[in-house]
Amino acid sequence: MPSFFKRRQITKQKMKQKKEEQTKQKIGDYGTTPLPSSLKEKIDFIKSETGNSFDVIIRKADLDEKLGIETAVVYIDGISNTQIINDFLIHSIIKNRELHRKQPNKDIFEIVREEVVALGDVKVLPNWKEVFQMLMAGETVVLIDGETRALGASTRGGEQRSIEEPGSQVTVRGPRDGFTESIGTNIALIRRRIQNPNLWVEVMKVGRVTKTDVSIMYINGIAKEEIVAEVRERLNRIEIDSILESGYIEELIEDESYTTFPTLYYTERPDMVAGNLLEGRVAILVNGTPFVLIAPTVFIQFFQSVEDYYGRAFLATSLRFLRVLIFFISIIAPASYIAGTTFHQEMIPTQLLIAIAAQRETVPFPAFIEALIMEVSFEILREAGVRMPRAVGSAISIVGALVIGQAAVQAGIVSPAMVIIVAITAIANFATPSFAVAISARIIRFLFMIAAATFGFYGIILGLVVLAIHLTSLRSFGVPYVTPLAPMIPKDLGDTVFRLPLWSLKTRPALISSEQSQTRVGGDQHPKPDSSKKMVPKKQKGEQE
Amino acid sequence: MEKAKIGAYQFFVLLLLFELGSAVLVPIAIGANRDAWIAILISTVGGVLLFFVYYRLYKFYPQLTPTEYMEKLLGKFFGKILAFAYILFFVYISARVLRDFGEMLLSFAYVDTPLFIVNTLFILVIIYALQKGIEVIARTGELFFNLLYLLAVIGFILIISSGLIDLNQLKPYLEQGWTTVFNVVVTETLYVPFGEAFVLSVILPYIKDTKKIKYAGIAGIVLSGINLSLVMAINISVLGIDLATRSQFPLLTTVQSIQIAEFLERLDVFFMVSMVIGIFFKASIYFYAAVSGTTILFKFKEPSKLVYPIGLVILFMSITIANSYSEHLKEGLDLTTRFLHPFFLVLAPVFLLAIAYVKNRKRKKK
Repeated sequence: MPSFFKRRQITKQKMKQKKEEQTKQKIGDYGTTPLPSSLKEKIDFIKSETGNSFDVIIRKADLDEKLGIETAVVYIDGISNTQIINDFLIHSIIKNRELHRKQPNKDIFEIVREEVVALGDVKVLPNWKEVFQMLMAGETVVLIDGETRALGASTRGGEQRSIEEPGSQVTVRGPRDGFTESIGTNIALIRRRIQNPNLWVEVMKVGRVTKTDVSIMYINGIAKEEIVAEVRERLNRIEIDSILESGYIEELIEDESYTTFPTLYYTERPDMVAGNLLEGRVAILVNGTPFVLIAPTVFIQFFQSVEDYYGRAFLATSLRFLRVLIFFISIIAPASYIAGTTFHQEMIPTQLLIAIAAQRETVPFPAFIEALIMEVSFEILREAGVRMPRAVGSAISIVGALVIGQAAVQAGIVSPAMVIIVAITAIANFATPSFAVAISARIIRFLFMIAAATFGFYGIILGLVVLAIHLTSLRSFGVPYVTPLAPMIPKDLGDTVFRLPLWSLKTRPALISSEQSQTRVGGDQHPKPDSSKKMVPKKQKGEQE
Repeated sequence: MEKAKIGAYQFFVLLLLFELGSAVLVPIAIGANRDAWIAILISTVGGVLLFFVYYRLYKFYPQLTPTEYMEKLLGKFFGKILAFAYILFFVYISARVLRDFGEMLLSFAYVDTPLFIVNTLFILVIIYALQKGIEVIARTGELFFNLLYLLAVIGFILIISSGLIDLNQLKPYLEQGWTTVFNVVVTETLYVPFGEAFVLSVILPYIKDTKKIKYAGIAGIVLSGINLSLVMAINISVLGIDLATRSQFPLLTTVQSIQIAEFLERLDVFFMVSMVIGIFFKASIYFYAAVSGTTILFKFKEPSKLVYPIGLVILFMSITIANSYSEHLKEGLDLTTRFLHPFFLVLAPVFLLAIAYVKNRKRKKK
């Protein structure tokens, strides 16, 4: 009966598939399976679960040779601090042999926990889930023969990148340290700046497979509780196998996916995060990346730099105006050129018009195609410059400058005016302080070019209206994106495109920080040099005269 | 009704943009000749009085939109008929505003472009805005309010610095006497733009701080009146009364006459920006009123879905409403300002208010 066998085979295969599926689901998820008491079984289980991986180190040590009580120290090489393990665990176990004989009333497990393991953070691990969690995070697990519990000691360590100056968001004045890939270091960098017990950190593991440490940081009392709760809830809702960068988190918790504008701010600078925490925002740190997310984010943040607060107010204000201008240039400069030359020649001053027309005489394309060619080739150059190895960089710049700049003009394919426009746009785009917004401006620019090519300035203006509607419709964790401009919050306007002197910024952002604590500057902090004038005695003044 | 909350300041901005909307572009009160600005100022006072009528109506039913309280005041049958008539009125005026806009744009910038294309693009933008809801429109209003005033201040400085203003053009004052001025006020400017504030009573129930509505409304109407009057006075003093009367868009002609340092000339873009912004808010608020009315009257659950069909109606109405621009203008003067506006913006609200008074007095006695 061949058919019978066939069916059995199929059901067997199905069973196998099911089993595989079950194990797939179970990856890294041991539930609350308790530990066996025999040391050998425990070691075997660890070995089989980790697939005899080479970097899982298991060091056995006798606690009592006569009674046959053995212990094993398990850790993972590379992510734990081997020196600490040697000095305070293995060495300590060997030195304290037969200690329990002096205290016959006490449990061996307790003795090991209290007296043998000479480390600060020691945890009791009741099941395999916690054992593996500790192990994989770089902690060390101490297994004892005859015990169904294990001990976990904090020995995280291993090679890390040292604290360096952040590559993005460079400032002239301001601290030079940047975040690293280690979440512990990053938290410490922030805590060093805000030495206050109200700086709270919550840790959670996100990612079914990667089990990445993600922590929320906020200042209790300044951050709005609803926003903190919302952040926590959105993070808890995440169910994904891996979190490799904060971008994963960003995309999973943001309010609106279908937009080019970032609704979460990211930064590499601890002082930036500290400043935002003090405004009542919540920071989301992800292990394995130096980029920290900040929520809620408003649009105007992307035009601000930390240095604005370190430098003089007037300079900061004018720089912010410049950045807004830059943003608009990088969006509509090529579009305006297209609109001006194709539709509204009468609006260009006569002499300029003649100059442009003379340049464009040999150009075989309409202005839109010309602009498109230039913009696209610039984008190609730029992408090449970012991805290529550094050594090839100079070759690219030569090719770019010669071919696209000079040769294209000399060949009469594009007009010099167009090259100027593209160059200004490109520089404006680079000058935008936030990379995230610069990217979105890059995309929008092309839409505006199409609008300008079809409807001239009417198209551009309609585009701006749509852009404004889109921006005002966005929200970041419930806070309207264009706050405090729309909805207008007069007392927050001091720190938008303006940056008034610090003593006049009396309150924290109204919609973002908690209602209970909004005062930032107490009393009247306006410097009063009148009192210091008296320090110079009048007599001396007279004498000098 | 959607779930939305609007601040008093946002209401003020919306009202201002709505009132300025198309009025700042076209020659209003030009029937009063040199005294157009006086006529506008007088009708501002009338506008404030009219606003009190609308405000009292709102006060009687602070939670309800006009469509709902019409039913309460007139009974189910007549209330529904009036509410439906209002919806038609809103759609019609919205289409008229759109047509005005399209004709304006064609006449000075896009001579060869079909009206249909221009209007389609514009209605698409408005549909997009209405999809996002009234809160977003209000916030967009706040953004563009700043832009509009920035443009206005720059334009004003440019006009003054290019030495175009000749205040003697405004003299003699009251050449034709007060009767002409009042005639213009009663037949024209009282309704457009000031009486149109009634349309905004659709959004009054959304406003959070109810105490400030009164001040926001008065401020909006007075400021828009002053602005319109100023613009008209500048137009006349720059262009002279002859040119100002003949010009289709006196503001455009004024802006075009700016010439500074042989570089800043033909600032049509200024005019185009303010035109798009103004018309956008005017048309979308009329449109919104129509959508809101339809939603409530026909008990629709999702107002955002109604935006497409009504938008389509407005678009096609704006094209088919008249064969030519002159026909469109004549229709506006003969039908709209003579019959529709006085009825829907003044008579009906006053009548409703009277009924509301009587009804509430009865209730109090009980």
